[in-house]
Amino acid sequence: MARTEQQSNEKYGGRWFWRYASPAAFFPLAGRIEALCWVLAIVLSAIGLYLGFFVAPTDAQQGEVYRVIFIHVPAAWMAMVIYLAMAFWSLLGLVLGTRLSFMMSHALAPTGAIMAVISLWTGALWGRPTWGTYWVWDARLTSTLILFFLYVGYMALAASFDDKKKGDRASALIALVGAINVPIIYFSVKWWNTLHQGSSVRPGSSSMATTMLTAMLIMTFAFWAYSIAAAMHRLRTGVIERERNAAWLRDAVKGWLR
Amino acid sequence: MNWESWSAFWDMGGRGFFVWGSYGALLIAVIAELVSLRQARKSALQALQEDHDS
Amino acid sequence: MSLRVAVGAVFRREMQLFARRKSDWANPLMFFLIVCSLFPFAVGSESERLKLIGIGVIFVGALLAAMLSLPRLFDEDARDGSLELLLTSPEPLAVLILARVAALSLALGLALAVVSPVFALFYALPGDVAAMLALTVAMAVPTLLLVGAIAAALLVSARGGAILTAVLVLPLTIPTLIFGAGAALRVLYGESPAAELALQAAFMLLALALCPLAAAAALKISTD
Repeated sequence: MARTEQQSNEKYGGRWFWRYASPAAFFPLAGRIEALCWVLAIVLSAIGLYLGFFVAPTDAQQGEVYRVIFIHVPAAWMAMVIYLAMAFWSLLGLVLGTRLSFMMSHALAPTGAIMAVISLWTGALWGRPTWGTYWVWDARLTSTLILFFLYVGYMALAASFDDKKKGDRASALIALVGAINVPIIYFSVKWWNTLHQGSSVRPGSSSMATTMLTAMLIMTFAFWAYSIAAAMHRLRTGVIERERNAAWLRDAVKGWLR
Repeated sequence: MNWESWSAFWDMGGRGFFVWGSYGALLIAVIAELVSLRQARKSALQALQEDHDS
Repeated sequence: MSLRVAVGAVFRREMQLFARRKSDWANPLMFFLIVCSLFPFAVGSESERLKLIGIGVIFVGALLAAMLSLPRLFDEDARDGSLELLLTSPEPLAVLILARVAALSLALGLALAVVSPVFALFYALPGDVAAMLALTVAMAVPTLLLVGAIAAALLVSARGGAILTAVLVLPLTIPTLIFGAGAALRVLYGESPAAELALQAAFMLLALALCPLAAAAALKISTD
């Protein structure tokens, strides 16, 4: 036992989590994470939506339409967070050369793009009755739009390579370039907003009743759980596609094949 | 409870279009993503099956 | 061969190619001219309205025209094998790429910048705005080419590379667009453009420092 531990330590430098860099080791773990997160997503959504619709009171200024924030804000949040996660896994992949890191980045992208679109759509439908227009070029909405462009660019670039290894590294590089640019773009757009005072300024979530805040927070966690579950599912599908010649894969999916 | 009746709930103070337009879009997006996830998994497994058989 | 000699050689070769192949700078210029001419037809010829949109149209037109010339950074050399020479050269790749981009910026950037004030006429913009536009376009084109070099390097010889390059690069040019056009707008309103100019210069310098390295990494990835 001491020898295998020593061997393991030698192989992984004493850090147990290195073994999960192998698709074979991570595949079952990803499945368990995925299952847990689906359950969390459903449960948290149920609680959050119940609180949001049946406990949170009517807003003094906005009436009932404010209830859109229970999905608008979490979606906007996730669009941002998922991009950062994508950039993180891209960096890890480029530095360590682990293909699972690249696959994780690919698995996150579509969900992030969808979150960006939902954020823009719900923002438009919230904005129309509240501030008069469907679209306004404020810093947050505009940055979310640009974030959407970055997601699409990443996915298009990855798809354009027949050589998957090259595609991994190319899209990883563009994800990093995008990540570095996002704060620059956000700052520039804020500046641009103050330049052109014509755009109506949308107030942030200034003072919200505690129940509203709680509901929004719970929905944020629900979206987080959903995103992780979807990404894990996509990751496992990606592993099935890429590792199709590996022996361990046959055994792992034996139950799913007819 | 916030609502006197179900119709008040759907009406959302006259803003039902905007509220349910938002939640509806989310529902459609989630369903679309779940369907896409399932399709991708199916074709990946099918490809694996074909490898296995040949 | 010392670094200076190598850089000089790359730079001179680019300029010679430019001089020899007129279409390399003539086509982007024509594109610029035509795009700037299109908008009045769509928007109406009242000078007040044109004045409002002119700065934006001219700036975006210049960026798009510069965008068109990105594939020529690496694609042709990939075709005839001279890219290999660049990659196996003992000189640092980032510096050689910088030399190439510098040559392209000088030739194309200068051309676009010099021509922009002419379009200011189309849009009833006053002379001082036209002059500021020339300056900011002159700074924006190198910035775009530097950032674009990364995408061009990733997409060497890719099918449909030009449009994908544009999709990747254009969102990243928004800061330089905001501040470049913003400076000209300030002059139009009679205010000081100092802040916008400073920020645009800052982005150009940042791109100068970081992009050649990223482009070198990108070239190594795509030509592996």
